[in-house]
Amino acid sequence: MKRIEVKLSLPVVAPLLDVIKELDADLRQNLAAPLAINDLEADFHGTWVDELLAGQNEDVRILLALFNEEFFSEGVISIDEDNAEHVVRACAAVRLVLRARHLQQMDEETLESGEVDLAKLSDPTRRSFMCYLFLATLQELIIQHLDSSIIGS
Amino acid sequence: MSDSHTQTHTAPAQRNETELALQGVWRVVVLNDPVNLMSYVVMVFKKVFGYDETTARRHMLEVHEQGRSVVWSGLREKAEAYAFTLQQWHLTAILESDEAH
Repeated sequence: MKRIEVKLSLPVVAPLLDVIKELDADLRQNLAAPLAINDLEADFHGTWVDELLAGQNEDVRILLALFNEEFFSEGVISIDEDNAEHVVRACAAVRLVLRARHLQQMDEETLESGEVDLAKLSDPTRRSFMCYLFLATLQELIIQHLDSSIIGS
Repeated sequence: MSDSHTQTHTAPAQRNETELALQGVWRVVVLNDPVNLMSYVVMVFKKVFGYDETTARRHMLEVHEQGRSVVWSGLREKAEAYAFTLQQWHLTAILESDEAH
């Protein structure tokens, strides 16, 4: 089984987990990308939202499970063919909610380039932005190394 | 998913109108968002539609530069299934009837 291990800086990443956990309640109740199809029958719409939320919650649970005892003792997380798809999707969900809830004041160009003077940001915004970048990096790593596993699964 | 959609109980005339509306060609359109990475969108298109790298990248660039891309067209039921799957990947998708164009 293809597997990657990522060594992370514990003091940098651990506070970012709190940012994700703070969004957990929001992610349990709201879709990260709201449904844009407006002509579904009400029952059908409800079923879709329920199923999408269940999948979203499972993905976020698996993302948070990466940061286990091994992470807190050695700073290492492991991603393999079994969890890669869930993790890459959870990262997308959390990033969308971070953008919507905490990074609205940043324009698209700034967010895409990542070129921000961190010293000028308030503490909560800086943490949100760092989390946003961290999850993007995690996605890039997974796509770079496990893309074929995800596509083939 | 499709069962709950087809087992609705509506008056015959109303049902016929609905059925007619659902016939024909529907387009699955992915809309741009400022968050999802280009590499992620390419991967999702490859995964969901079985596109090769070049096709997936072309659609991703359409989304990025024009704000939308028609990624699939065909029967409504299958279009809905694709839209649902795209939502699972947190891409924003809408359905458009070909008659609207």
